[in-house]
This record gives sequence, structure tokens and C-alpha cells, in this order.
Amino acid sequence: MITLSSYLAISFLLFVCGIAVMIARKNIIAILLGVELILNSCAINFVAYTRFVNNNLDGHIMSLFIIIIAAAEAAVGLAIVIRFFQIRESIHIDDATQLLQ
Amino acid sequence: MNETVVTFFSGSHPYQVVTELLTRYLGFNATGLLTVVTFFVACFVIVNVMALVGGLGTYAERKISADMQMRQGPNRVGPFGILQFLADGVKMIMKEDIVPKDSDKMIFFIAPILCMAGVFATLAVLPFSSGFTLTHLNIGVFYLLGVSSVVGVGIFLGGYSSNSKWSMIGGMRGASQIISYEVPVTLSIIAMVLLGGGLNFKDIVGAQGGLPHQWFIFHNPFTVISFIVFFIGALAETNRAPFDLPEAESELVSGYHTEFTGMRFAFFALAEYVEVFVLCGVAVALYLGGYQVPFELSDTFLLHNKIGLPLGPARILGQLLEVGGFVSKTCALYYVVIWIRWTLPRLRVDQLMTLCWKYLTPIALINLVGVAFWVYYFDGESMWNLIFKSGAAAAGGH
Amino acid sequence: MFDNFLFISSAALTVCGALAVVLSPNLMHACTYLLTSLIGVSGLYVTLSADFLAATQLVVYVGGVVILMLFAIMLTGGNDNKSVNKFGIEKIAPMGNIKTFTLAGLSALLMALVISKIIVNVTKAVPKGELPPFSSTVEKIGELLITDHVLAFEISSVLLLGALIGAALIARPRKIES
Repeated sequence: MITLSSYLAISFLLFVCGIAVMIARKNIIAILLGVELILNSCAINFVAYTRFVNNNLDGHIMSLFIIIIAAAEAAVGLAIVIRFFQIRESIHIDDATQLLQ
Repeated sequence: MNETVVTFFSGSHPYQVVTELLTRYLGFNATGLLTVVTFFVACFVIVNVMALVGGLGTYAERKISADMQMRQGPNRVGPFGILQFLADGVKMIMKEDIVPKDSDKMIFFIAPILCMAGVFATLAVLPFSSGFTLTHLNIGVFYLLGVSSVVGVGIFLGGYSSNSKWSMIGGMRGASQIISYEVPVTLSIIAMVLLGGGLNFKDIVGAQGGLPHQWFIFHNPFTVISFIVFFIGALAETNRAPFDLPEAESELVSGYHTEFTGMRFAFFALAEYVEVFVLCGVAVALYLGGYQVPFELSDTFLLHNKIGLPLGPARILGQLLEVGGFVSKTCALYYVVIWIRWTLPRLRVDQLMTLCWKYLTPIALINLVGVAFWVYYFDGESMWNLIFKSGAAAAGGH
Repeated sequence: MFDNFLFISSAALTVCGALAVVLSPNLMHACTYLLTSLIGVSGLYVTLSADFLAATQLVVYVGGVVILMLFAIMLTGGNDNKSVNKFGIEKIAPMGNIKTFTLAGLSALLMALVISKIIVNVTKAVPKGELPPFSSTVEKIGELLITDHVLAFEISSVLLLGALIGAALIARPRKIES
């Protein structure tokens, strides 16, 4: 039951869902939700491989850094979204076409 | 594996006899089954007892506030009105369950459950005694921090889903307050983890002693400040006065649970009271010696060999003494929390954030460095030990 | 037995949460489903005996990221306001339409085929042996962080500080230029 392939399958499903969210949504915050899913799927892969294949803790460290980076990404990304909303009154991704206001 | 409550019971003679009997009777190894059953019973008992504690918390709050305002408080139902919370509970169940028409139904249903689940999941690691704790998880403190942050999401979603301005403001205030105050609380907990040498509650409590000078709060000057920071942060995290901005009655009607009625409201209220108890328990475990009893009175060896009790009752009695120590200290802190609520006025929102980010967080950071310095420089010895040693040296002792 | 139960329930939580994030038409609901998915991932870490990581996942995601997301959704108008901004685009972006979902489904299918091609080979190559028993990872992770990975650790602290200051700087409303 608990094998490497099952974890890979779950992480694969998470990744595909994340990609689908990122492509299908027109809402910037929804796209950020997709990014979170993708980062989590990567983290599961690292931990699963480190548990089943090489038995040391390097994968845990990698996942820890992924979590850290995801937190930083969410903070900065959402700050940008809020600033964008203040300028453009919108969080539509099609509205973000200009570099300069 | 982590030590659990099953580890304690499986060491006793009757448990092994029952296991053997069941194995013979059922025809397969009953150890696993009995473990699950014991665990389930223990969880059931603890959850129910804590729900009772939450109910008694409301009674205590009303009675103590009445005492402070020279009133009587509830005194009709039962002796001294102690059954008032049961009457309130029955009233809550009988009430009509109102769901606002424009509310976000799904989130409206799950928000109280998130609050309850977050609080009751913390009970898994709350160290009532060395044996009766559900599990001495090796990441205990960290787990507790993580799980209790679900409460913030519950409060936020509760405020959002009611589709009411007051609830929305209350929910946003609650979430931002809980997130902000998690920073100083976590920093001061990390200082205690440094002293205790592990994230496990068993390690942290085991590094302390039964008498006040062995507690971590009086370990060195930094830990006193750390305790104060932790306590203020805990008050803010549980939305207690003077930090009860999310449910400020005079400004926001009743904050994030304005629109909730009946059992849903009861879930929020119960979660709040149990969370206060849990955070007081964490403060006791981290700073005030936890379940340690003075003079090692709860020691099985002492009760069994010196006093002459049989082994089984000696172990149980020791555990009960530890539970008594833990609960009495926790209740004392609970009294302080209620006392603070009924004496201090409420802060403003900007004052709240200023207090957190400009005062508590830097203080907690400097404190952490101070404790680390103390552990490095004095080898983690408490200041009383150092004073005693230098006094003995000055007196010419060897 | 218990491990299997934990694994199945957290896997179901993770996958169902992720699918619900894809299919939910309401942004607030999608964020709530993301919460369940993240809690499920934390359960998966527990089954992989990564206890510290599971708690970190709870602390960072549940306590931090999801609440930040919810705040951002609230500050950008929630889900009910359907007016149009000065550029003629809806203020609140829709959660996607049939065209985007078709595109997303096709690309997800393509990606699924490519990745499954890789995964099949990988799972064949992995030797199946006895797994080591559960042991606490906290001390070992701490040691690794200040020995082998100390540079990454320090850099991540700089990154977090930069993110903190940057987020505060970006989100702060500028003074109106006269």
C-alpha cells in the first residue's frame, strides 16, 4: 500500500491540478493557489524519495526550504496583487499587460 | 515510537492479564486491538472532561466577575449555581438554528468546526501528567503551535461567511491578531525549548522541578520576561480582554460570532474557553514546572517502597498527584486571566499592533539571545544554583 | 493497519482538495479546499515519518499562507462584486470559462502523459527493501541545518527578511503625489 509509486502518483495528481488551476483561472490569487499546489507536490516528491531510496534527511531539508520559499513567495506575491488592485481596481490577469502604469 | 498513555497502562499487571485473556478468547494477538480501544477511551475521557472544563470556565468567569463587581453571580441552579452551565448548554441546544440568507453556507457550517477541531487537537499533547498524557509527541510544542493556528482560520472564515459588516471586521481583526501574536509567543517558547533541550513536553517538564526555584520562570532573569511576553501573547491569541478586539461588544456587537446561534455559537464559545485552559496549561508546562510535584512525592519508588503501597495503586496515586499539581497551577493561571479581563480596559487596534510588533517581538528576540547566552555561558544552570555556589565559595566551602 | 488508514485518508484529503481547487467556481471556497489539501499533505509527511516537516507544514501553511490568501481575497473585493473597472475588464476576475478550462485540461493531459512516462521508469528502477523504523528527525534536521546546509539556511534567512521588507514596501499605499 505505502510504496514510492503511490506517493509519486499523489504528487503527480497535485502537480497536474496545480497546472490546470494556473492555466484555467483568470484570477491572480487563484493562480497563486495553483503555485502552492505545485510547490507542495515537489515537496512530497523530495520527502518520498529520501524515505524510500537514499534514507538520509537531505530531502527533508529540501522540502523545508521549499516551504520557506513558498511562504516568501506568497507574502510578496499577495503584496503585489494588493498593490495591483489599488492601481488597476482589478485582479484580472488580462489586465496585467503593462510594465508601467 | 513516542510514549503514549497506552505505554503507561501497558506497564501495569492487569492490562497484561487482560491482553492475554483477550488473545486466548479471540484467537488472535489482541495487543493492537486493545491499544486502539485504550486510546479511544482515553481520548473520549479527555475530550469530555475538557468540554466540562470549558463549561465550568463560563461559570467561573461569571462567578469571579460577579465577585469583583460585588454581585452574586449565578446562584439558582444547583449548589452555588454550579449547574448553570448545564442549563445554558440545554438552552443552546434548544435554540433555533438560524442561518443568514446571504451567508456563504458551506463556510458557515465548517467555521465553528474548524475552531473546535483546532483547539481539541491540541489536547493530544497537553501534558496532564507523565503517564496520563495522550501522547508525548517528540515535536509536541511545535505540533501544538501548528494545530492551534487552525483556530485563526476558523475565526476568519466565521467572520467572512456571516455576510455582516461587524462579523467581517471581527474576523479580520481576529485573524490578524492571532497571526501577529504568534511571533512573540513562538519566540518565547523557543527560548524555553533551548533550556529544556527538546520540543517534547516531557523533556521540558522533566528539566524542571517541583519547587518554585526549580521552575523555568525563575531559572534566570530572561525567563521571567519570557513568561510575561508569552502570557500577554497567549491572552491575545485567545482573544481575551484586554485584547478582545475581535469580539468587542461595545464596537462590533459580538464580532465574528454575531450571526451564529445555538450549537454553532456554543462551539465558538467552548473553543475559546478550552483554548484559554490549553494555553494556561502550556504556560504551566513551559514555565511553572508542569506536572512536577514537590519533594518527588509522586515518585513510584517512594510510594511503593518507602510508604508501602502496592505497586498498582502507587503508580496511579503518583499520576493523580501529578494531575492535581498540573490542574491546580493551570486553574490559578486561569483565575489570573479572568481577573485581567475584568480589570483592564480594551486596547485600540493600532495600540494592539504597536504592542506586538514594536515591543513584544523585539523583547522576545533579545530574550531568546539572552537565554541562548545563558545556556552557553553558565552551562544552563539556574541562577539560584550559581548564587548558592558563589555563596558557598565565599564562605570557604569546597 | 493504522499506517494504511492514515495514508489513505490523507491521500484522499490531498487529492480531493486539489481537485476541488480546480473545479470550485468560488475563490473563497477554493482557498478553503486548498487548506484541506495542505492538511492532507501534512498527513502524508507523517506517514513518511517526517514529523518535523509535517508540523512545519501546519505552522507555515495553515497559520500563515492560507490566512494571507484569505486576506488578499477580502482586500480585493471577495466574490460578489461584479462591476467593471476603467479599462473595461471585470474588477473581480472570473474563475475561468469553458475555453480556459478546455485549454487547461488539454495541457494537463499532455503533461500527465509526459510525466507518467517518466514515473513508470522510475518506479521500476527503485529497489524494494525494508523501510527503516520510525525515529525522531528533529535533532538530525537541526544538525544538518547548521553543518551541511548552513549556507542555504543563512541565505533563506536573508530571503525571508527581504520578502518581509519587500512585501511591506509594496503593499503600503503610496502618498498621493500632488
